[in-house]
Amino acid sequence: MSAVAPPVSGGPTPAPSPSRREPAPAHTTGQHVRATVVLLVLTLFVSGFAYPLVVTGIAQVIDPNAADGSLLHYNGTVVGSSLIAQNTDAPYLFWERPSLSDYNTTLGMITPYGPTDPALAEWFNETLAYLREYGNFTVNATLPIWFVSPSGSSIDPDLTPGAVLVQVPRVASATNLSYDFLTNFINAHTTDPPIPGLGVSYVDVLQLDLDLLPLIGRG
Amino acid sequence: MVDLTSLWDVVLVVGLVLAIAPWFGSYLGRVYLNRPAFGDVLLSPLEQATYRLLGTSPRRSMRPREYMVALLLVNGGVFLFLYLYFFFQNALPLDATGVPGMSWDLALHSAASFTTNTDFTHFTNESQISMGAEVIAWQLALFLSAATGLSVAAAMIRGFIRKDGTLGNCYVDLVRTMTRILLPLSILFALVLVLLGVPETFTNYVTAHPLTGGIQWIYLGPVASFQSISLLGTNGGGWYSANAASPLANPSAISNLFLVGVMMLIPFSTPFAFSQIIRRKSESWPFIGTIVIIFAIALGLFIFYQAATNPGLASVSGLGVSTNGYPVGQETRFSLPEASLFQVVSVYANVGANNMAIGSISPIGQMVLLFGMFTQSTPGGEGTGFATLLLFAVLAIFIAGLMVGRTPEYLGKKIETSHVKWAALALLIHPAIILVPFSVGVLWGDPGISATTLAASAHNFTSVLYELTSEAANNGSALSTASFNDTTPFWNVTGALVMLLGRFVPIWAMLQVGGLFASESEKPPGPGTLRTASATFTIYLTMILIIISALLFLPVLALGPLAQIL
Repeated sequence: MSAVAPPVSGGPTPAPSPSRREPAPAHTTGQHVRATVVLLVLTLFVSGFAYPLVVTGIAQVIDPNAADGSLLHYNGTVVGSSLIAQNTDAPYLFWERPSLSDYNTTLGMITPYGPTDPALAEWFNETLAYLREYGNFTVNATLPIWFVSPSGSSIDPDLTPGAVLVQVPRVASATNLSYDFLTNFINAHTTDPPIPGLGVSYVDVLQLDLDLLPLIGRG
Repeated sequence: MVDLTSLWDVVLVVGLVLAIAPWFGSYLGRVYLNRPAFGDVLLSPLEQATYRLLGTSPRRSMRPREYMVALLLVNGGVFLFLYLYFFFQNALPLDATGVPGMSWDLALHSAASFTTNTDFTHFTNESQISMGAEVIAWQLALFLSAATGLSVAAAMIRGFIRKDGTLGNCYVDLVRTMTRILLPLSILFALVLVLLGVPETFTNYVTAHPLTGGIQWIYLGPVASFQSISLLGTNGGGWYSANAASPLANPSAISNLFLVGVMMLIPFSTPFAFSQIIRRKSESWPFIGTIVIIFAIALGLFIFYQAATNPGLASVSGLGVSTNGYPVGQETRFSLPEASLFQVVSVYANVGANNMAIGSISPIGQMVLLFGMFTQSTPGGEGTGFATLLLFAVLAIFIAGLMVGRTPEYLGKKIETSHVKWAALALLIHPAIILVPFSVGVLWGDPGISATTLAASAHNFTSVLYELTSEAANNGSALSTASFNDTTPFWNVTGALVMLLGRFVPIWAMLQVGGLFASESEKPPGPGTLRTASATFTIYLTMILIIISALLFLPVLALGPLAQIL
């Protein structure tokens, strides 16, 4: 056995030779503890402070609006974020998707119903009954499934165009705006996929309502 | 029927990642071989200085036992720090919303969950964890648990190219994973997320005044940076409790596809890192082949059954038709194939993030997700997923050797009883820590879920099975049900134990197998050597994976998701 240990590199060793290399000595307990503590302190500094601060610093320069939560202002106050839904349950506004948390962000994600849970059908029937009672829909109109089903986040701000168009009769009668005007208004607020298939067509309901407010003299 | 318009971008994203994977995988290989690589000018001096501070050096290669000691020390340190931080979070900085400290059992579950790369949360992020606890404590685990997984895989793979019984220096591996992979990529991806609309600020919340009155709290924070490392490191923890379903964390179809790429990148590249390290390019193909076959079947089934009609809604009249049979818990802005792609990638790569409410998807969809957590290796979590697949391969080659009566060998190294014992331990601990606590929990009669409630519906059965499977596989996705309260001390402590065992027992076995290979000298292949870089072996490995997982778990699947559709 050779007494001199050649450096152990990370790479594969060359052709097998009968003389075995002497491995480098194992770390003592003290060396392990030191390495662990230093590694944790360094990583904590990087992961907990340097990393988020650097990213936040750059983010605040490259896209301050997004970095601050895409907030929406109306008459000088913050009325919400363009990314999340809120309660728009007024006759003169277009309604959002139903929310199991009533759009309360503090509650986080609400436990949904299982796919074949009888309570699911019950929930749908109750929601449909409520919507029909207050929604003022055209008689016999079927309601789009996205308009009745709760989202995963409980604050999904988007609806399919059909689910917004079905609300036109109610908004028209509450605001005295014509069917044609509202239909065009919704079409103008519909975001289509930049390339067919990349996402879906949807309407940002909160933005739609915000743009509707000045037209009906509220706010 | 299925709206297939959107399939092209699903195929495009998967194709792009598979196109990048060989290149990125060989970069990963160079990182773990300590070879010259991109960024040396800047990073090498930094790493050298770090090694000096740590008092170690790349030349001090460790045997499996020492490697494990180092890993346990580092991970133990993370665990302890997280536990204390969560317990005392009300007295620590950045707690603008005034959340109280966590109870001992919740802190235990959370610390175990984040240390083990699981990121299963038994709390509501918005009201039960402070911003400081997320950024300072949780984020430390996001980085180090990912680094741990990759280091273990690198150490195990080195077994094939060494003869002195050592696997590399654990501290060096952790440092290089941070400097060469996790930090640069997570900064880059976080900035892309900001450009896609994700918040990044140290303002904890904004008070908004909605149009119809009242108040809405808009929770913010350094979301982009948190989400970036969480998904890149296959952790899966979300800034929001709705995770990537929250429009603030995943604002558009494009951000959704981008996050899919972030999750896939490292797990799909690891087989190529393997072939780079062992210097046999073609040996990555059976693994990437197996992964792609099983992943594609899973994704296809998931999309197909999500688009099918939900019998649970048959009694509801007055609903319009939809191409999505399970719209509950889905977000409007993603097409069905896009939403499904995220969810299947997330569970199959053991990330565990969700962009939908998994509890409301089709029963077959739930079964598809469960299957991904049973195999844990198609492609599985950061590093450990590929290491698990290697263990399956060891087992498969051993079985093949028995069938033809030859001494099995892999890459010139003999596979003996001791290898197979360790591999079997790693693969069998998984069902054991799912099924034993399941039975104990039910017999115990814990208030979290009574035996009567459990038996009342197949969905309740599935949610308990899903919870334990997710914890055992260090996945972190959840199939929550109102009738299963998993936040009782019993389920918190059980969950913590399941996660810790599911993490560190297989890691111990992976290092042991690597160490056994590292102690053998390489022999040239003979005429009877099984050719592993072949289509035959790919299909054989795929079948072994499916058969072993089916044998282990079919009975519980029959009582859970399968019973739901009958």
